[in-house]
Amino acid sequence: MSIHTLSAYELHKSFCKGELKAEQIIQAYLDRIERYNKDVGAFLRTFDEKALSQAKALDEKFARGEKVGRLAGVPIALKDNMHIKGELSTCGSKFLTNFNAPFDATVTRLLENEDAIILGKTNLDEFAMGSSTEMSALAQTHNPWDLSYSPGGSSGGSAAAVAARLCPIALGSDTGGSIRQPASFCGVCGYKPTYGRVSRFGLVAFGSSLDQIGPFATTTQDVAMVMEVLGQHCEKDSTSCTDPSYDFLSSIGTDIKGLKVGVPRHFIKGLKGEAKACFDKSLETLQDLGAELVDVDLEVLKYSIAIYYILATAEASTNLARFDGVRYGVRSESAQTLDDVYDLSKQEGFGPEVKRRILLGTFVLSAGYQDAYYKKAQKVRTLLIRKYQEAFKKCDVVATPVTPDSAFKSGSIKDPLEMYFEDMYTIGVNLAGLPGISVPAGFINGGKPYGLQIVGPQKADVAVCQTAYAFEKATACADKIPEQFKK
Amino acid sequence: MSKDYGRWKPIIGLEIHSELNTKSKLFSSAPNRFGDEPNTNITEVCTGQPGALPVLNKEAVRKAVQLGCAIDAQVCKFSKFDRKSYFYPDSPRNFQITQYDEPIVLGGTIIAEVEGEEKSFAVNRIHLEDDAGMLKHFSSFAGVDYNRAGVPLVEIVSEPCLHSPKEASAYAMMVRAILQYIDASDCNMEEGSLRFDANISVMHEDDKAFRNKIEIKNMNSFSNLELAVEMEIERQIELYENNPDTPQDELIAQATFRWDPEKKAPVLMRRKETADDYRYFPEPDLVPIVLTDAYIEEIRATLPELPLQRERRYISELNLPTDTAFLLASDKPLSDYFERGLTTCSNARSLANWLLMEFPGRLKEKGIVLHKSGITIENVAKLVNLIDAGTITGRIAKQVADDMVANLGRDCEEIVQSNPDYQPVSDTATIEPLVDQVLADNEQSIQDFLSGRKKAFAFLVGQVMKMTRGKASPDVVNELLKKKITEKAEK
Repeated sequence: MSIHTLSAYELHKSFCKGELKAEQIIQAYLDRIERYNKDVGAFLRTFDEKALSQAKALDEKFARGEKVGRLAGVPIALKDNMHIKGELSTCGSKFLTNFNAPFDATVTRLLENEDAIILGKTNLDEFAMGSSTEMSALAQTHNPWDLSYSPGGSSGGSAAAVAARLCPIALGSDTGGSIRQPASFCGVCGYKPTYGRVSRFGLVAFGSSLDQIGPFATTTQDVAMVMEVLGQHCEKDSTSCTDPSYDFLSSIGTDIKGLKVGVPRHFIKGLKGEAKACFDKSLETLQDLGAELVDVDLEVLKYSIAIYYILATAEASTNLARFDGVRYGVRSESAQTLDDVYDLSKQEGFGPEVKRRILLGTFVLSAGYQDAYYKKAQKVRTLLIRKYQEAFKKCDVVATPVTPDSAFKSGSIKDPLEMYFEDMYTIGVNLAGLPGISVPAGFINGGKPYGLQIVGPQKADVAVCQTAYAFEKATACADKIPEQFKK
Repeated sequence: MSKDYGRWKPIIGLEIHSELNTKSKLFSSAPNRFGDEPNTNITEVCTGQPGALPVLNKEAVRKAVQLGCAIDAQVCKFSKFDRKSYFYPDSPRNFQITQYDEPIVLGGTIIAEVEGEEKSFAVNRIHLEDDAGMLKHFSSFAGVDYNRAGVPLVEIVSEPCLHSPKEASAYAMMVRAILQYIDASDCNMEEGSLRFDANISVMHEDDKAFRNKIEIKNMNSFSNLELAVEMEIERQIELYENNPDTPQDELIAQATFRWDPEKKAPVLMRRKETADDYRYFPEPDLVPIVLTDAYIEEIRATLPELPLQRERRYISELNLPTDTAFLLASDKPLSDYFERGLTTCSNARSLANWLLMEFPGRLKEKGIVLHKSGITIENVAKLVNLIDAGTITGRIAKQVADDMVANLGRDCEEIVQSNPDYQPVSDTATIEPLVDQVLADNEQSIQDFLSGRKKAFAFLVGQVMKMTRGKASPDVVNELLKKKITEKAEK
């Protein structure tokens, strides 16, 4: 039995049966990271000693016959924009290379409470701004299916880590597609919950009204298992959903006969080639499973990129204002005056995409421009939410592609706008605060994974996972491992 | 009397910032406490750590609603927070969380006594926001203390409806009183928990619209407020009058000054043309404040007695003069002190006089206020009772008061008993010869009195008192004088 071929669910079961020791599991994954991370560049750092000592402690706890947590035996990686007290949270930025988190994120606390063991932190586009992970100032991450290809982004490190089986579960954050797009590119499941379902406390904010933490996994069952732990109300996040946690695991096995799946055919008419063929085949699979396809009008989604790059950057421009070199982060050594501290610390600490978005966000909020940009975008956002609500009167979930195509070659997209269009199918979900999953649908363009996106109404997280689970069982491409990382 | 500005009318609007006395800060669980070691009352929220999120303090909301109810304003069932962006080291996130276009309270009225006349002043709005930290300058560097960062503030914005420095200070005093009565703020001006910003312009009687206004920020006493407003009004009028041919905008360009309490003068902060663009937009980390009618009505129904109610009670039940009632009622701690005194002293007028005039005058040099001086209200009440009982004369009482101020906390009866000079002379045998002598020396006054001039009698009393160094019992003196003059007249 190879540990890395097991799902998190299987690892947990094996641990609970006493078949596998936590130390064994952690050591196996640390060995894989040691062996493969130099090729993939998924992890920025690992906590070998800490993880092993936690594993030993867990084994002892189990040996004493004490009750173990729901994630006992499960190694997990966190995107490097979530806090673990005392550990670096760099956000992939030069500016935060000296920043040790002063407190635990709620997700960290919830995971550790359930005896999950955090292996390390993964790479990302700086402050989660990007769709290729190429905007990280610290490392380059490669797609495990073809190392010359992009893993997607911004949670590219987490997606690649799971795809290469360097960990069974990794958390990402998704502001406009940053979990789903890299999941599609790397052939793993990536889940963005309903806005507010997972606490943002301890997640370094990009666009506060859009950010949401979610898991990457090799199966929807693993997504469900982690979501039962993470999907809790949190008093430290005012936007946290007050519902009790959802019962994912017991619901996902049920079939989807009679499920109405909405397809916004007009909106996705630009889809071409093998991507289109793969998507059409996915729809057929859903029909074969007993789902009924219905046409829904989500034409409004064509505005989603435009409004996203106004609203997300507006929020980001203020969220990132705190990185001024006064209290934390890297203060420019050449700063002589207070204005220098501000100007030079940002100038030297931030990369081009972050600067671009801060400028854009500052502009759209400025007096004289706010009405034309920020306020108008808010209105369209409201319209978009309404259109989704109308669509969900006709269907239970909506199916769309995750991305216009499979992964692109690293460095091949130079125009920022072209990069923004990577997220054209995912952004609307964030704008409306909906749950959405990217589930592997097949391989196209010479063996590149390609995902299917399933989106539900707000709080219909379970229905989304249930659909994805049924789909995944039928396609059986989620458990495929890239050749290079099989052993 | 208030100053006459001729054909000019001052237009003053006040923005009053008051720190709420909640247990914790507006968006974090850090203690809301003044005077602690720098950077000890902080959490990750107060220093703007990445990943920290604000959580609204319900107690602060409640206090803001109480304030809204207390000034008979509209408490909004829906209000929200906004981000106000500006860069300064005391601002931990480089944006303040405030309420921009949908504040928690709209409208309202402040009723205050201005030079004996009751006036109503319109409030525009009240909103909640968080305070900034404090910069401390050292010889070679500056440090920031974030203890104050995140302390809840209410900003009470008046309409430009105040027309004299006296109106401005009376309005401000009443706002302070209301905040104290509902226990929303300590209003400690030395500690900065009550701060005034004034917008000032002047209007000529021929003007159709407002002229440019000048903002003066951070006045932290009523006298500074009056002084600053008065200086600014005079400066503007003088400039306009001396330069009738210069365009108004050139004479007074919109600008913001900071009040320097040391120099007692405004210091220019910025001109309008360089004013910041705060880029307000809704705070995405907080949900809107949604209040129910039941919540608001419960607060309205349980409001404590308010200063205006107390003032009216003093007038109707205690027969205090209007201005005395206002002065007392608008100073909550003093007024509470006064009320405790009423339990042992029934002469409210006299007690009020000792509280408002006699003791404050004596304590001024020490820079302390009566109710915190160590002089207990029981002692002040005793003093009034001693006078009323004729045990000491008013004149001796003043000396006793001097001693009470010199020896804070000393019992006033003991002061009287231990000093032979304070024993009043009331035996007729001692006083009668003195009365005889005064009458012999002041024939003219006797005639004046007999021809109807009451003042002449008071003069004669005064002469006797002088000879006894104030110790003679006024009752005995009065009685003897009257008797003797009547006798004389009958002769």
